[in-house]
Amino acid sequence: MTTPIIRRIVGWLLPFLWIFSFYIMLFGHLSPGGGFSGGSVLGACLILDRHVNGANAFGARFTGERLLKLSLAALLLYGILKGQSFLAGVLHMNGLPIPLGTPGNILSSGLILPLNVLVGIVVAVAFYLIATLFEEGHL
Amino acid sequence: MISFITSHYFQIGTVILFGVGFMTLLLNNNLIRKIIGLNIMDTSIFLFFITIGYTGGREAPIINGAFKGIDAYVTPIPTGLMLTGIVVAVSTTAFALALTILFYERFGTIDLSEVMDSRGD
Amino acid sequence: MKRKIAAVLITVSFIAFLLIGLSDFPPYGTADSAVYNEVTARYLEKSIEETGAVNAVAGMILDYRAFDTFIEASVIFTALVLVLMMLQKNDKANGGDGNDHAHH
Repeated sequence: MTTPIIRRIVGWLLPFLWIFSFYIMLFGHLSPGGGFSGGSVLGACLILDRHVNGANAFGARFTGERLLKLSLAALLLYGILKGQSFLAGVLHMNGLPIPLGTPGNILSSGLILPLNVLVGIVVAVAFYLIATLFEEGHL
Repeated sequence: MISFITSHYFQIGTVILFGVGFMTLLLNNNLIRKIIGLNIMDTSIFLFFITIGYTGGREAPIINGAFKGIDAYVTPIPTGLMLTGIVVAVSTTAFALALTILFYERFGTIDLSEVMDSRGD
Repeated sequence: MKRKIAAVLITVSFIAFLLIGLSDFPPYGTADSAVYNEVTARYLEKSIEETGAVNAVAGMILDYRAFDTFIEASVIFTALVLVLMMLQKNDKANGGDGNDHAHH
């Protein structure tokens, strides 16, 4: 399915798509975007890479088991990072003090930047595994 | 009647899109087209919620520079709620398509009229 | 043929009932809908000093309502595990005997 025309043009287009997906995820608290849309573009990048480059793609170095464990670790880390404020609200205590910074910088607003990255990892791994895991008879 | 149409045109279009999806679900025998009809109905509901929260003349809720008061921004609540809905719609469509693959391996066809007529038990 | 007529009648009556219920809504683009109350005022005023996010939507879904986003990410993960579980095959390498035990 991959003709030389598609291979050449996707080779020019992929670096911009990678940088665009990281920009959407990392600047979620300053401009429109966030974890879900950045994760979708990242998943589309991985699928396109796999279709064009075959076995030498970026996602092919990680097997299905390792990507599942990475996604589960990201979800549990989200729960641990925000769980301290859920429990503190139930027990009527104050949570841990998290520095907010000045609004307008990248490293501001506390925990919003790591949470965006974690949600993006979960969504990207889900899209990539559903689309490409059944090609060579895995599982 | 005409004033109702000219003042509510966006919401009327949303309801008509819901009707289009519903008729796609009822009139087709192919399983993939029924799943497409379900997806169209989901999209129309998201569009309806977003048009409720819009107000003309205000700008997007991104506070650059000084704060201009609460009457200068569109409300952020309906768009934030619909993110969850979009995710649920995507997951439901993925699950329905996996069930269609299992259906094809069991019966050999994805046309519902052949399956419902031939099996009498 | 009977099925097509019944489907068209049901859909047209359903849309008519929904449009009659739509006449109670305020017009499109005005500010007196039910969404604009004190919750919107609180989220827009205190968004920068309590969350530090310039984007009010990101500050709402990741700080004020972070639990909903956590449950939503777990819905995506559950859908992924469900699809991978339903489409697996039992071959001889996995300990099965090559037959598909779902048929009977």
